Order: sequence, then structure tokens, then C-alpha cells
Amino acid sequence: MADVKVDKTLDVRGEVCPVPDVETKRALKKMESGQVLEVLIDYPLSKERIPANVQKEGHEVLAIEEIGNSEWRILIRKK
Amino acid sequence: MGVFTGLITGILFGIVLQRGRLCFNSAIRDLRMFKDNYLWKAVMLGIAVEALLFHFMAQVGWIHLNPKPFMPVGNIIGGLLFGFGMVLAGGCASGVTYRSGEGLTTAWLAAIFYGLFATASKSGFLKPVVDFLHGPAYKVETTGGLYVEGKTGPTIANTLHMNPWIPAIIFSALLLWYVFGTKTTERSGKGFNWVATGILVALVGGLGYYTSAHFGGRTYPLGITGGWISIFKTFTGGKLSWEGAEVLGIIIGAFIAAAASKEFKIRMPRNPKAYLQVLVGGAFLGIGAVTAGGCNIGHFFSGVPHLAWGSLLATVFFIIGNWTMAYWMYGRR
Repeated sequence: MADVKVDKTLDVRGEVCPVPDVETKRALKKMESGQVLEVLIDYPLSKERIPANVQKEGHEVLAIEEIGNSEWRILIRKK
Repeated sequence: MGVFTGLITGILFGIVLQRGRLCFNSAIRDLRMFKDNYLWKAVMLGIAVEALLFHFMAQVGWIHLNPKPFMPVGNIIGGLLFGFGMVLAGGCASGVTYRSGEGLTTAWLAAIFYGLFATASKSGFLKPVVDFLHGPAYKVETTGGLYVEGKTGPTIANTLHMNPWIPAIIFSALLLWYVFGTKTTERSGKGFNWVATGILVALVGGLGYYTSAHFGGRTYPLGITGGWISIFKTFTGGKLSWEGAEVLGIIIGAFIAAAASKEFKIRMPRNPKAYLQVLVGGAFLGIGAVTAGGCNIGHFFSGVPHLAWGSLLATVFFIIGNWTMAYWMYGRR
């Protein structure tokens, strides 16, 4: 999944709950359909909650990759 | 023995909180903000199991039920302040405590300020203000039975003079019907699922009730606020209580669980303004919890299964405070 073109990156590592979730939602709202958002995150609860919630809104989760010790990269394609 | 059993209870509690990602702030807020009931259902299932478990434990004579007093003014004002505080602090009382063990630096500061302001509200410079805010406290006379002898907090059963099993069974049945009969938000991950989390956390609640009553000199299930106050009082010569040991146990348990699943990391926000926000949030949590006579664990998770009026009222205002502040901070535009 590393070859997907990323249109926007959101680095929310270390942020207070639920800032990562809220920022992800806001970023997706501003993007064009089909564009890919990369979310960098280090918080386990949000790592599980963000994919569940964006899928519910119809966006596509392309990948959830572990990029370090308790750090993940989530790729989301806007519907 | 009090400190030892408190520590063991806390460690188990910390493991379940961390693996279940059980934050009451998230549970309450997600329900409204993300239309996500995953954690909320874990809490509701836990409360349903606890209601049956506590009454059963009292029935067989292991404990006597000891609900908190009814303080209408304090439950409302403190409940609101605590509800605001959990959103600002990025976690409730148990949330900031267990996340401290995961390495969240914002949780460290929130937890320390929560403890300091709770101590100041209980016996320090804020005491006059908090005494004024929390108004009168009501207790009822009981003739024993499932309840402690003498005066205790009013519940649905002991104010309506009915067998405590009747409201407990109706309440649990309604909650169980809700948690298993309605649609649950999907979630996948490495942690415990919501059913396991709800049942395990209720069992820890029962263990806490038993060990604190028999060894801790305190007849109540889990708590957080009193524990932080006890920890801060040890600096001025106080002895660590069962609840203080339980709080230390939560941090240790969450650390063990996070480290074992490679989720421990020292996490720092890029914008230092977040630290300021969590300090204010921690102060609100401390003042709110003491004014309300309990936090999300003392009232919501431990008091509601007793169907105590004070805990039910405080919980309603935790929720109103949380939703109001969450909307103001994150929901607008």
C-alpha cells in the first residue's frame, strides 16, 4: 500500500483524545472525492476508532500500517 | 493487607481499562459526537452485571451495600464541573489514571492536577468553596438487611421500602436488553472487545467491594478520587489507603498491559497549549469530583449499580457537562 499517492498528511501523534478523530473528520470534509488522507497516530483507542468511524461515513480505509513503536499510519480514500 | 489487596485490585483494573480502552469520557462523548456506542455498551454491560453481583454479594453476606449520600446541589454542580473537566483533560478520572501508565504526558499532568485540586477541595484552601457548593447531604436509616446497619445513602429500594432485588433485577434486565438487543458499532483491534471488557470490569468491581470491606476499612466498590487524595496526603505524613493503593495499581496494571502489547510510549503533543488545557481540565475534575461526592467510577460505575439517587443524579450531570463541553470544543462549525 506504500505506492498510493497521498494528497494530504495529518500528524496527530501525541494529541489529546479525541483531537485525532476530530481532525481526521475535518480534514476529510475539506478534501475532494477520491483523494487520499494519511493520518499519523500513536494512540491505540483512536487507531481503532478512526477506521471504524470513517468507514461508517462511507470512506474507504486503504491501510493501517504500524510505522514504529505504538505508531500507526492510516490511509483513507474520501468517498 | 489493605494496601496489598488495593494494589492487586488496581492492577487488575488497570489491565482491563487499558486492554478495553475503557475511557468513560470517550464512552459518553462518542455516543453523541460520533454516534458510536461501542465503549458506552461496555460501561452499560459492566453496570448491569455489577447491579446483580453487588446485590448477590450482599445477599450471601460477603458485604453490606453502602451507597453514597444524596446531595442534590453538589451532585448537580459537581457533576457539571466534572463533566466539563473530563473533556478538557482528555479523560475521566479513571481515564487519565490508566493513560498515565500508557505514557501519555498530557494524562500525567491532568492526573496530578486532578489529585492536587481534589485534595485542596477535600481539606485544603478550596474546602470552604466546595463545602458551600455541595450543599446538604441526605442519608436514610436502614434496618440492615442487604444494607449497612444505621445510616446510608438513599436508593430506589430503600426510599420506596421495597426489596432491593426488585429494582436491581428490572434495571439490569433493561440494560441487558439494550446492550444485546440493539446494534453495536463495529470495532476491530487488538484490545478486549466490549463484552469481555464489560464483564471483566464488573468482576473487578466486585473484588474491590469485597477486599475494601474486609481489609481496606472502607465499604465501597472501586473509586479514584479518594485514592488520589490519599496519595497526595502521604507527602504530608498520611498513610496510603486501600483506595490510594488501588490507584497506584491502576497505573502499574495499565503500564504492564501497554508494555506487553507494545502500546507503551512517551507521547507528547506538538502544540504545548494542550498541556495548559489538560491542567485546567484536571483542576475541574478534582473540584467537580469532590463537590459531587464522587467521580465517574465512584458515582457512575460503582454508585449507579446500587441505584443510589445521588449517583444517578451526578451521572446525568456528568453526561450533560461532557456533551456541552465536547460540543463547545469540537462539535461547532
